[in-house]
Amino acid sequence: MDRRTFLTYNAAAAAVPLSSMALTGLADAASAAARPAPLDFKSNLPAAGSFPEKWICGSPSCMDNTDPPVQVHWYNPHTAILRQNKAYSYEAPFAPLYFGNDRVLLLDEGFVQLRNDWDLRGVVDQCIDDWCRRNGRDPASLELLVAFSHLHADHYAATNQFADRPNTRYMGLTHEEMVGFWGMTNFPEERVTLDLGGRDILIWGSPGHVVSEFAYYDSYTQILYTGDMFYRGRCYISFWQPWFDSMKRLIDFCDTHPVTHVMGCHVEISRDGQDYTYGMTYQPDEAPVEMTVQQLREAFAYAQTITEPGIYFTGTVFLCNQTRGTTTIDKNPYRYS
Amino acid sequence: MAQSSTYNPALSGNPQSATGRTYPNGNPDLGYNPAGVRNTDSALPLHRKGAVVHNYACDGPAPGNLGFRWTYGSNVAAKNRDPRVQVVQYNEDSFVLRQNVCVHWEAPFTYLLFGNAGALLIDSGATADARHYPLRETVDAIIARWGQARGRSRIPLTIALTSGEDVAQNQGLVQFAGRPDTTIVPKPLEVMKRFYGFGGSWPSGTGRIDLGDRVIEVIPTPGTHKDGVSFYDPYCDFLFTGDLLFPGKINIGNDSDFIASLERLKGFVASRPVKWILGGHVEMMFVPGKYYPRFATYKPYERVLEMGPALIDEAIQYAREVKGKDMMLIRPDFALFNGVSPDQRTRVWPEGVPKIDPPHPF
Repeated sequence: MDRRTFLTYNAAAAAVPLSSMALTGLADAASAAARPAPLDFKSNLPAAGSFPEKWICGSPSCMDNTDPPVQVHWYNPHTAILRQNKAYSYEAPFAPLYFGNDRVLLLDEGFVQLRNDWDLRGVVDQCIDDWCRRNGRDPASLELLVAFSHLHADHYAATNQFADRPNTRYMGLTHEEMVGFWGMTNFPEERVTLDLGGRDILIWGSPGHVVSEFAYYDSYTQILYTGDMFYRGRCYISFWQPWFDSMKRLIDFCDTHPVTHVMGCHVEISRDGQDYTYGMTYQPDEAPVEMTVQQLREAFAYAQTITEPGIYFTGTVFLCNQTRGTTTIDKNPYRYS
Repeated sequence: MAQSSTYNPALSGNPQSATGRTYPNGNPDLGYNPAGVRNTDSALPLHRKGAVVHNYACDGPAPGNLGFRWTYGSNVAAKNRDPRVQVVQYNEDSFVLRQNVCVHWEAPFTYLLFGNAGALLIDSGATADARHYPLRETVDAIIARWGQARGRSRIPLTIALTSGEDVAQNQGLVQFAGRPDTTIVPKPLEVMKRFYGFGGSWPSGTGRIDLGDRVIEVIPTPGTHKDGVSFYDPYCDFLFTGDLLFPGKINIGNDSDFIASLERLKGFVASRPVKWILGGHVEMMFVPGKYYPRFATYKPYERVLEMGPALIDEAIQYAREVKGKDMMLIRPDFALFNGVSPDQRTRVWPEGVPKIDPPHPF
């Protein structure tokens, strides 16, 4: 497939023709006949679910860490949230895995590339197998979409592990491929709907931390996934005005849609608001990853008062306005006069 | 003569390729014992009858080398299987220990020196838990083995810190609590001064730790820590500077103290031979001016540990430049941070220093 075809052959638009095409194969038709009734993702919303009390959060000595490379938490039977082990990468990003009747969406692929270093592919395959077993499906009948929140290596590093996976599409590593993957023509304002098979994911542009970033809203759990643009830690704002506009879009969205949780990609802050320095591999008392809409609104209200570059604490997150390359939060503890 | 365009690693100073050498598996015509091999500087007589008394007086620095690469962590820290304490023997009476980067990112160096009447451990590592960092066990094993070789059963141990307040160097102390025949230099500044006999003379004057014919001198060097000291070993001609001067990001605690201490060191080494300065950490890369960030658990391009004594002059010169200013300053072999966050970055690159980006390991 050449680049031009790839861009037009986007996942969202191809959804309908693909599933009907699959019926033409005899084996596929047989498996489709044996398929149980589709799951209903549209009533009794929002679907109940829960976050864990405590995620795996590293250890004082990395080489003595006995946690799994990836923690898999089932938020509810049709939604898993993955977290990378801090001893595998200090970035320890979170990655939602949304299941629909026809396809599965993986958002973010961690910060370690090689499969023999950490087997993300195996973990995701296992999750899909488990889900299929519980729901009487054939894993081969589900398409996997490997996408990411934004164009940073701690969110796409393991994408290549899925390159040879059958029935899988993965997002390309350029802005054009990312936007094309969701079939957008008017980034960032345009909001597209991805149908996972009865489960709609709303996607729109959310630049500011980087140019190429999306916000993802799952209409089933009503979780708003904001990537690195807004998360419980240091929101590194590279471009203030696009970021502010993106915040405005999030607020507008929350005004018109029910949102249960706002969820970012990382946690870099303790329960009592203490900053976990960039690069730390042990966060014993870290804050929950999920935030409320109220916290998002407070941060936006705070952001409206910001006129200068600098680091600001909104009570929930640090807004690091254009400070990435020049300053950080913590100080030398051994200063004396 | 036509120029060959073939890449020859030997010409580029990269003789890693065994097949490129004339004798990839060694020259069979050379004897097994090249000249000098039987004339080592071993302190051990072949047939000894009692405890060996070593003569620590020597012309120039005692021979020795740091012939191993330091363990440098791994891409996935959880999978690291390097030794928790890497022991490198510099010579028969001097050991350099390094904490595994994947046990603690500070990966401090710890030094164990022997004399005719006892041993000295300089610094104690960044991890208290002996299951993660068995410093005591390792030191005990080295001392026992050394004692067997020297025919000594009783070897008093002194433990001294380059800074009592530095959590990257004082955590291992608890492992030695209750160890028999052990003196631990007290951590609090005032008590430490009394121990070394500085009294009111701090920060001038020097203290002494006598290991038996090997007298380690203690020089007060506050600056990065208010209770910082350096140690001078007249046998190997080493200066152990801890956090004051090391190939890494030097976080200055007080700039006037820092300069004064460096000047004191300069005056000190003027009257004594110094082969190497050995600091407490390595954070620089082997390309000039580049360093690893804090908390890094994979540092494959580390600079070597040892520094030449000329580095003191350079440190003084650039410490004067940052004095009184909140700024960081990059030099090829160290970086100075004065009054700024330890994660401070700068776009200012030192003039005349090649800017090389090492390949990014994945």
